[in-house]
Amino acid sequence: METEPKAAIPKEWLDEFEAAARRPLELRMRYAFIRTYKPVMDDARFRAFDTMEQYRRWCAENLPEWLGYGRI
Amino acid sequence: MAVFDYRQAEEVRDAFARHGVRYLFIGKSGAILLGFPDTTQDADLFLAKAPENCRNAVGALIDLGFALTTEESEQIARGKDFIQLKNGPFDLDLIFAPDGIERFDDAWSRRVEVEGFPVCHIDDIIASKVAAKRQKDRDSLPRLLAFREYWKSKRP
Repeated sequence: METEPKAAIPKEWLDEFEAAARRPLELRMRYAFIRTYKPVMDDARFRAFDTMEQYRRWCAENLPEWLGYGRI
Repeated sequence: MAVFDYRQAEEVRDAFARHGVRYLFIGKSGAILLGFPDTTQDADLFLAKAPENCRNAVGALIDLGFALTTEESEQIARGKDFIQLKNGPFDLDLIFAPDGIERFDDAWSRRVEVEGFPVCHIDDIIASKVAAKRQKDRDSLPRLLAFREYWKSKRP
């Protein structure tokens, strides 16, 4: 997976970063945290995994692929 | 269940402080606290895995209104690597061993304080997302890398 940007920040993103920087944290959080239903993931009130590997495997085996939790 | 907001983040900060819990905001919620404009559903907290810290976290979570059974409390107290809570006033993920970060103390030493909220450094947030190797992280990583460049350029 690529870890370093190779080009300048696209103007559209830069404008978004600048706009966010002008907002107080409370407002940024209001815009950022949203409620959407994620099938399977949201259907249990509590889950615990001994290891991250177990959690990743559970995600791969149980969640719909389109949620994006599968490993690449 | 309410959407996580600033007031609830303050409640987390205050409850964890009262109970002496060592933690850091991590993941996209951490990046958002640093200024990254994006959306997410829940808050991700990286907790030190020391036994006392895990026990303290249970007390703090109960104070916050999480309805933990005895068995659930015991699992948190044992510091299982990943715990997903949807039994409280907001969704919360507890991570005791995030991918890509060797030790809590290392991340703690690099932390950034944002209005009293302890947040993982953007390098650690990115390292954990790179190491997780998930499709959704790969999709969002270019923008997060660009934000790191922007964020570092604004740091004193």
